[in-house]
Amino acid sequence: MATTATLTLASADIAGDPVSVTKTATLTKAGSTNDLDQSTGLNRVHLRSTTNKVLLAANAEGDNLAAKVYIINKATDASLYVTVTINAQTIGKLYAGDFMFIPWSQTDTDADIEVAATNWTASTGDIPVEYALFHEDTDFLTNA
Amino acid sequence: MATTNATIALTSDVTDNALSVSNTTELNTAGTTTGVNTMTSVTKVLSSTNQVDLITTGSVSTTHAYVYINNPSTDETVYFNITIGNAGAGSPTDTEEIGRLYAGDWMWFPWDVDDDICITPSTSDDVTVEYMVFS
Repeated sequence: MATTATLTLASADIAGDPVSVTKTATLTKAGSTNDLDQSTGLNRVHLRSTTNKVLLAANAEGDNLAAKVYIINKATDASLYVTVTINAQTIGKLYAGDFMFIPWSQTDTDADIEVAATNWTASTGDIPVEYALFHEDTDFLTNA
Repeated sequence: MATTNATIALTSDVTDNALSVSNTTELNTAGTTTGVNTMTSVTKVLSSTNQVDLITTGSVSTTHAYVYINNPSTDETVYFNITIGNAGAGSPTDTEEIGRLYAGDWMWFPWDVDDDICITPSTSDDVTVEYMVFS
Protein backbone atom coordinates (compact mmCIF):
# COMPACT_ATOMS: atom_id res chain seq x y z
CA MET A 1 0.00 0.00 0.00
CA ALA A 2 1.74 3.14 -1.14
CA THR A 3 1.08 6.73 -1.98
CA THR A 4 3.44 8.70 -4.19
CA ALA A 5 3.51 12.39 -5.00
CA THR A 6 5.49 13.70 -7.94
CA LEU A 7 6.13 17.36 -8.64
CA THR A 8 7.51 18.56 -11.96
CA LEU A 9 8.62 22.14 -12.50
CA ALA A 10 9.47 23.08 -16.06
CA SER A 11 10.28 26.26 -17.91
CA ALA A 12 12.04 26.88 -21.17
CA ASP A 13 12.58 30.56 -20.65
CA ILE A 14 12.58 31.67 -17.01
CA ALA A 15 16.36 31.36 -17.00
CA GLY A 16 19.11 31.34 -19.57
CA ASP A 17 18.91 27.57 -19.74
CA PRO A 18 15.79 25.43 -19.51
CA VAL A 19 14.67 24.49 -16.01
CA SER A 20 13.37 21.02 -15.30
CA VAL A 21 12.94 19.60 -11.82
CA THR A 22 11.13 16.38 -11.02
CA LYS A 23 10.83 15.02 -7.51
CA THR A 24 8.87 12.00 -6.30
CA ALA A 25 8.12 11.34 -2.65
CA THR A 26 6.74 8.11 -1.28
CA LEU A 27 4.58 9.13 1.65
CA THR A 28 5.65 7.41 4.85
CA LYS A 29 4.84 7.49 8.52
CA ALA A 30 6.86 9.86 10.66
CA GLY A 31 10.50 8.89 10.94
CA SER A 32 10.05 5.52 9.31
CA THR A 33 9.93 3.80 5.94
CA ASN A 34 6.41 2.45 6.51
CA ASP A 35 3.82 3.76 4.10
CA LEU A 36 1.04 6.09 5.13
CA ASP A 37 -2.08 3.95 5.29
CA GLN A 38 -5.05 6.29 5.70
CA SER A 39 -6.68 8.83 3.44
CA THR A 40 -9.78 10.94 3.16
CA GLY A 41 -9.81 10.26 -0.56
CA LEU A 42 -10.42 13.12 -2.94
CA ASN A 43 -13.07 15.63 -1.86
CA ARG A 44 -14.72 18.53 -3.65
CA VAL A 45 -16.43 21.57 -2.15
CA HIS A 46 -17.80 24.75 -3.68
CA LEU A 47 -16.81 27.90 -1.82
CA ARG A 48 -18.97 30.98 -1.70
CA SER A 49 -17.84 32.53 1.55
CA THR A 50 -15.38 35.37 1.83
CA THR A 51 -14.72 34.41 5.44
CA ASN A 52 -12.62 31.47 6.57
CA LYS A 53 -14.20 28.01 6.56
CA VAL A 54 -12.58 24.95 8.10
CA LEU A 55 -11.46 22.58 5.38
CA LEU A 56 -9.58 20.19 7.68
CA ALA A 57 -10.06 20.36 11.44
CA ALA A 58 -7.06 19.84 13.70
CA ASN A 59 -7.21 17.44 16.62
CA ALA A 60 -4.02 18.40 18.46
CA GLU A 61 -2.34 15.14 17.57
CA GLY A 62 1.04 16.80 17.73
CA ASP A 63 3.71 17.31 15.16
CA ASN A 64 5.28 13.86 15.31
CA LEU A 65 2.70 12.18 13.10
CA ALA A 66 2.98 12.41 9.34
CA ALA A 67 0.23 13.91 7.25
CA LYS A 68 0.16 15.43 3.78
CA VAL A 69 -2.48 17.74 2.37
CA TYR A 70 -3.31 18.40 -1.27
CA ILE A 71 -5.55 21.34 -2.20
CA ILE A 72 -6.38 22.69 -5.66
CA ASN A 73 -8.46 25.63 -6.86
CA LYS A 74 -10.47 24.32 -9.79
CA ALA A 75 -11.82 27.71 -10.89
CA THR A 76 -11.11 28.74 -14.47
CA ASP A 77 -11.30 32.52 -13.98
CA ALA A 78 -7.68 33.59 -13.41
CA SER A 79 -8.68 36.30 -10.96
CA LEU A 80 -10.53 34.02 -8.53
CA TYR A 81 -8.47 32.89 -5.61
CA VAL A 82 -8.74 30.96 -2.38
CA THR A 83 -6.84 32.12 0.68
CA VAL A 84 -5.40 29.25 2.71
CA THR A 85 -4.63 29.74 6.39
CA ILE A 86 -3.45 27.65 9.33
CA ASN A 87 -4.41 28.98 12.76
CA ALA A 88 -5.15 32.40 11.25
CA GLN A 89 -1.68 32.51 9.67
CA THR A 90 -2.08 33.08 5.96
CA ILE A 91 -0.01 30.68 3.90
CA GLY A 92 -0.89 31.97 0.46
CA LYS A 93 -3.47 32.39 -2.26
CA LEU A 94 -4.38 29.63 -4.66
CA TYR A 95 -5.38 31.23 -7.93
CA ALA A 96 -7.38 29.38 -10.56
CA GLY A 97 -5.70 26.08 -11.36
CA ASP A 98 -3.09 26.43 -8.63
CA PHE A 99 -2.44 23.61 -6.19
CA MET A 100 -0.50 23.06 -3.01
CA PHE A 101 0.94 19.98 -1.36
CA ILE A 102 2.23 20.38 2.18
CA PRO A 103 2.98 18.40 5.32
CA TRP A 104 0.54 19.24 8.11
CA SER A 105 1.34 19.27 11.82
CA GLN A 106 -1.54 19.45 14.21
CA THR A 107 0.36 21.28 16.89
CA ASP A 108 -2.85 22.22 18.68
CA THR A 109 -6.59 22.35 18.11
CA ASP A 110 -6.20 25.76 16.49
CA ALA A 111 -4.12 24.35 13.65
CA ASP A 112 -7.13 23.91 11.37
CA ILE A 113 -6.59 24.36 7.68
CA GLU A 114 -9.07 26.99 6.59
CA VAL A 115 -10.00 28.39 3.22
CA ALA A 116 -11.84 31.50 2.10
CA ALA A 117 -13.11 32.51 -1.30
CA THR A 118 -11.79 35.95 -0.56
CA ASN A 119 -12.89 37.76 -3.72
CA TRP A 120 -16.05 35.75 -4.32
CA THR A 121 -19.21 37.66 -5.17
CA ALA A 122 -22.64 36.52 -6.25
CA SER A 123 -21.65 37.29 -9.84
CA THR A 124 -18.39 35.31 -9.85
CA GLY A 125 -20.00 31.97 -9.14
CA ASP A 126 -18.77 29.42 -6.65
CA ILE A 127 -15.10 28.49 -6.45
CA PRO A 128 -14.67 24.72 -6.62
CA VAL A 129 -11.90 23.34 -4.45
CA GLU A 130 -10.67 19.77 -4.30
CA TYR A 131 -8.57 18.36 -1.48
CA ALA A 132 -7.20 15.16 -0.02
CA LEU A 133 -5.48 14.21 3.22
CA PHE A 134 -3.07 11.32 3.63
CA HIS A 135 -2.16 10.50 7.23
CA GLU A 136 -1.22 7.84 9.75
CA ASP A 137 -3.04 8.25 13.07
CA THR A 138 -6.64 7.18 13.60
CA ASP A 139 -7.36 10.28 15.68
CA PHE A 140 -5.89 12.66 13.14
CA LEU A 141 -9.30 13.74 11.98
CA THR A 142 -11.79 15.17 14.42
CA ASN A 143 -14.54 13.57 12.40
CA ALA A 144 -12.86 10.15 12.15
CA MET B 1 7.18 36.88 -19.78
CA ALA B 2 8.31 33.39 -19.02
CA THR B 3 6.16 30.30 -19.13
CA THR B 4 6.65 28.00 -16.17
CA ASN B 5 4.51 24.98 -15.45
CA ALA B 6 4.06 23.00 -12.27
CA THR B 7 2.59 19.52 -12.48
CA ILE B 8 1.54 17.26 -9.65
CA ALA B 9 0.82 13.56 -9.93
CA LEU B 10 -0.64 11.75 -6.94
CA THR B 11 -1.18 8.02 -6.91
CA SER B 12 -2.45 6.03 -3.97
CA ASP B 13 -3.80 2.58 -3.34
CA VAL B 14 -4.66 3.31 0.30
CA THR B 15 -8.35 3.20 -0.56
CA ASP B 16 -10.14 0.27 -2.15
CA ASN B 17 -10.42 2.19 -5.40
CA ALA B 18 -7.05 3.62 -6.27
CA LEU B 19 -6.60 7.37 -6.44
CA SER B 20 -4.83 8.95 -9.38
CA VAL B 21 -4.70 12.73 -9.70
CA SER B 22 -2.74 14.80 -12.17
CA ASN B 23 -2.90 18.54 -12.62
CA THR B 24 -0.76 21.16 -14.30
CA THR B 25 -0.83 24.87 -13.60
CA GLU B 26 0.98 27.75 -15.22
CA LEU B 27 2.72 29.94 -12.67
CA ASN B 28 1.31 33.42 -13.12
CA THR B 29 1.50 36.70 -11.31
CA ALA B 30 -1.40 37.35 -8.95
CA GLY B 31 -4.77 37.19 -10.67
CA THR B 32 -3.43 37.35 -14.20
CA THR B 33 -2.43 35.11 -17.07
CA THR B 34 1.01 36.70 -17.17
CA GLY B 35 3.78 34.30 -16.26
CA VAL B 36 6.12 34.83 -13.35
CA ASN B 37 9.57 35.97 -14.43
CA THR B 38 11.82 35.51 -11.42
CA MET B 39 13.27 32.30 -10.02
CA THR B 40 15.56 31.66 -7.09
CA SER B 41 17.14 28.24 -6.54
CA VAL B 42 19.15 27.56 -3.40
CA THR B 43 20.88 24.60 -1.80
CA LYS B 44 21.85 25.22 1.80
CA VAL B 45 23.58 23.17 4.50
CA LEU B 46 22.30 23.64 8.05
CA SER B 47 24.32 22.62 11.10
CA SER B 48 22.16 23.55 14.05
CA THR B 49 18.76 22.78 15.54
CA ASN B 50 18.06 26.49 15.86
CA GLN B 51 15.07 27.92 14.06
CA VAL B 52 16.27 30.20 11.27
CA ASP B 53 14.77 32.14 8.42
CA LEU B 54 14.96 30.09 5.25
CA ILE B 55 13.17 32.46 2.88
CA THR B 56 12.67 36.06 3.92
CA THR B 57 9.99 38.40 2.66
CA GLY B 58 12.72 40.80 1.66
CA SER B 59 14.02 38.32 -0.89
CA VAL B 60 10.86 38.60 -3.00
CA SER B 61 9.56 41.80 -4.53
CA THR B 62 5.97 40.67 -5.12
CA THR B 63 3.04 39.69 -2.90
CA HIS B 64 2.45 36.34 -4.58
CA ALA B 65 5.05 33.64 -5.01
CA TYR B 66 5.33 29.89 -5.32
CA VAL B 67 7.65 27.93 -3.06
CA TYR B 68 9.22 24.49 -3.40
CA ILE B 69 11.16 23.01 -0.47
CA ASN B 70 12.84 19.63 -0.56
CA ASN B 71 14.48 17.49 2.11
CA PRO B 72 16.95 15.37 0.11
CA SER B 73 18.15 13.37 3.13
CA THR B 74 18.06 9.60 2.90
CA ASP B 75 17.93 9.12 6.68
CA GLU B 76 14.22 8.74 7.46
CA THR B 77 14.67 10.19 10.94
CA VAL B 78 15.94 13.53 9.67
CA TYR B 79 13.24 16.15 9.33
CA PHE B 80 12.69 19.88 9.15
CA ASN B 81 9.97 21.75 10.97
CA ILE B 82 8.72 24.28 8.44
CA THR B 83 7.01 27.30 9.96
CA ILE B 84 5.75 30.62 8.74
CA GLY B 85 5.82 33.85 10.68
CA ASN B 86 8.37 36.15 12.20
CA ALA B 87 11.09 34.07 13.79
CA GLY B 88 13.04 37.03 15.08
CA ALA B 89 15.87 36.76 17.51
CA GLY B 90 14.79 34.70 20.47
CA SER B 91 11.12 34.58 19.56
CA PRO B 92 10.61 31.33 17.70
CA THR B 93 7.11 30.97 19.13
CA ASP B 94 5.88 33.78 16.91
CA THR B 95 5.50 31.34 14.06
CA GLU B 96 2.90 28.83 12.94
CA GLU B 97 4.13 25.37 12.11
CA ILE B 98 2.99 24.13 8.73
CA GLY B 99 4.44 20.67 9.06
CA ARG B 100 7.41 18.37 9.23
CA LEU B 101 9.28 17.63 6.07
CA TYR B 102 10.81 14.18 6.47
CA ALA B 103 13.62 12.70 4.38
CA GLY B 104 12.63 12.50 0.74
CA ASP B 105 9.60 14.74 1.23
CA TRP B 106 8.91 17.92 -0.71
CA MET B 107 6.33 20.65 -0.37
CA TRP B 108 4.85 23.13 -2.82
CA PHE B 109 2.63 26.05 -1.92
CA PRO B 110 1.67 29.60 -2.80
CA TRP B 111 3.17 32.21 -0.51
CA ASP B 112 1.69 35.62 0.12
CA VAL B 113 5.09 37.02 1.21
CA ASP B 114 3.68 38.55 4.39
CA ASP B 115 5.91 36.59 6.76
CA ASP B 116 9.17 34.70 6.54
CA ILE B 117 9.39 30.98 5.97
CA CYS B 118 11.46 29.42 8.73
CA ILE B 119 13.11 26.07 9.23
CA THR B 120 14.22 24.04 12.23
CA PRO B 121 16.32 20.93 11.56
CA SER B 122 15.89 17.90 13.79
CA THR B 123 19.63 17.42 14.13
CA SER B 124 22.74 19.52 14.52
CA ASP B 125 24.55 17.28 12.06
CA ASP B 126 25.01 18.81 8.63
CA VAL B 127 21.77 18.52 6.69
CA THR B 128 20.94 19.86 3.25
CA VAL B 129 17.76 21.68 2.30
CA GLU B 130 16.87 22.75 -1.22
CA TYR B 131 14.34 25.38 -2.17
CA MET B 132 13.09 27.34 -5.14
CA VAL B 133 10.96 30.48 -5.25
CA PHE B 134 9.06 31.66 -8.32
CA SER B 135 7.62 35.15 -8.36
